[in-house]
Parts: sequence; C-alpha cells; structure tokens
Amino acid sequence: MSKIEEDEIRRRLKILSQIEPTAEASHRATERVRDTLANTEKRRVSTRIWRAIIKMPITKLAAAAVLLIAAGYTAGRLSAPTPDMKQLRSDIYQSVLEQVNRDRQSALTNIRLELKDELNQELRRDLNEFGVRILAASATLTEQRIIELIELIEAARARDRQLVAAALEKIEFDKSQLGKGLVALAAKTSELHVKKPD
Amino acid sequence: MRNRQRKLLQLLDKSGASLHALLTRLTLRQDIAEELMQELFIKLSNSRGLDKVANWDAYARRAAINLAFDWRRSQKRTPLALNQVHEPASNDSSPLSKLIQTEELEEILNAIGQVNGAPREAFVMRYIQQQSTDDIAEQLGKTPHQVRALCSKTLNHLRDVLAPGQSQSPGKELYDVEN
Repeated sequence: MSKIEEDEIRRRLKILSQIEPTAEASHRATERVRDTLANTEKRRVSTRIWRAIIKMPITKLAAAAVLLIAAGYTAGRLSAPTPDMKQLRSDIYQSVLEQVNRDRQSALTNIRLELKDELNQELRRDLNEFGVRILAASATLTEQRIIELIELIEAARARDRQLVAAALEKIEFDKSQLGKGLVALAAKTSELHVKKPD
Repeated sequence: MRNRQRKLLQLLDKSGASLHALLTRLTLRQDIAEELMQELFIKLSNSRGLDKVANWDAYARRAAINLAFDWRRSQKRTPLALNQVHEPASNDSSPLSKLIQTEELEEILNAIGQVNGAPREAFVMRYIQQQSTDDIAEQLGKTPHQVRALCSKTLNHLRDVLAPGQSQSPGKELYDVEN
C-alpha cells in the first residue's frame, strides 16, 4: 500500500462528507420505510389476534374435543366387526343400480319436458311468423285494390267531363243556330210589312 | 406497540433523510443505503429494548453505522457506483479518475470499519457527518475532550492501516473539519 499523508486522509474524509444522495432516492427510501412500518404493524395486529384466539380457553376445549372425537372414531373403526363383503357389494350394487335408474328416469323426464317446451316455442314462433307474413300480404293486396279503384274512379270522372264538354259545345252550337234563325225570321217579317200597303 | 410505531414514524420524518445520507456515505451506494435504511427501521421496530432508550436519534444513528460497516465487512470486493460526489477530487472526471477515487474512499471506509464502538461512532460523526465535538459529546454523553481523544485514536488507526511504517504523532486530531 502506498504511503498516505495526513492531508490525503483529510482529503478523502472531506469527499466522503460531501457525498449526498439524490432527493429522489432519499424520498423513495423514506416512503419505502413508511410502507414497511405500516405492513409490519398490520402483520403484528394479525399475529396478536391469532395469539389471542389460541390462548382462549374455548380454543383449548375445542382442540381437546377434536382430539377426543378423532380418538373415538379411530377406536370405533378398529373395534368394529369385519363386514360381509359379498353382501356389502351386492347392497352397494343394488343401491347404485337403483340410483342410476332413478337418475336416468329423471334425466329422461327432464329431456322430454325440455323437448316439449322447445317444440311449443318453435310452433309459436312459426305461427307468429306466418301471421305476420299473411298480414303483410293482405295489406299489399288491399293496397293494390284501392289503387285500381282509384284509377277506375278517375277514368269515369274523365269520361264524364268529356261528355259534359260535348253537351256544352252542342248547346253553344244550337244557341248560335237559334240566333241566326231569329234574325232570318225578323228579316222576313219586315219584308212582309213593306209589301202589304201596296 | 402503536406508540412505538408513532415514534418510529416521527423519527423517520425527523431523521430519515440524514440517516439515509449517512448510509449512502458509508456504503457509497444509494440502492444499498435504501435497503439498509429499511433494515434499520425493521430492526428498530422489532427491538425489545427500544422503549427504554432515551435518545432514539442517537440509537438509530449508531445502529445505522453498525449496519453499514457490517455490510462493508460482508462485501469483499463489489463493483461500486459513486456518482454523488459534489466536489470532485480533481478536475479530471474521467471514468478512470472516478474509479480511483472510489477505491480510495473504499480503502478509508474499510479502515474505519476495522474500529468498533464509540471511537468509530465519534469519528464518523466528526469527519463524515461533520458535527462539532461539542454536539458529539452531548449526543454520546461524553466530554468534548473525550470525543477528541476517541477521534484521535481512530485517526491513528487509519494512519497505521493506510500508511504502515510511517511514524505518527499520537493524540493529534484533525482540526480543519467544518462546523
């Protein structure tokens, strides 16, 4: 190691004393400690609760009861007579068979009911659709009939108008003929009056 | 327990920044300082005798110094990232000079780490935290003269470790510390 003078030690210590963490790092470290302290407190409270529960007399009684029940069950199992396996198997088989039959019957009934419901719904849907189509078709037909009727009425009105116009023209013609006739009559009458004094 | 939690939070608000700065100076790494800071407060939170402690600040500082030097002892050679020096040792800020400077600081910190107890604490407070001998004496419950003696003892140790073979003038403390 190289020789280090007192000044060198002093210089290094001065550099060390001037080292500062960034404000961000300092803030982050403080917040991290704060979070850790909060979590530690929560864990401590939880541990205290469990400890209190374990220390309660009723917990000890419950544990003793569980142990007794377990011991009794084990003793019962060990002291029980050996069952007739054939009979047991037959009983179990019968029981399982009955259960399977019941389940199958129940499943079939359910399926039948579901199918019935589905068919009913399908039929209702088809009827509704058919009704809607018929209504639409009848509405279209009615509309066509009305259009035809309107066209007929319009044609009849046009024909009437033409007839009225022809009649008016004839009246006008007759009026002019009548006027001419009257003028001729008046002329003849004057001629007759002129000839009579002679 | 809630009272302790409240006091620890008060300590964090009051001295958290200075403790973090101290840990950064002693480890030369911000990430490690953050880790040690968390470890420090967990230790304080779990400490059984903390309620009997009169000066929590001093207790926390001592614990922080111990933690930092324990960490230094556990690290034989680790890559360091020192980029928080405000005043560089020279105008040359090349990576090589930074590396040399880091190694120099490592060397002196390792030498301080060889000292234990009150001399190390007093020395750190005096030369790294730049506190006055009167303040240190008050915090450590000693006289200023005793503090100077402790610092001098540590300084002699540093001379022995860093400059072996060189004759020393025992008992003379450095007096050019700020404050």
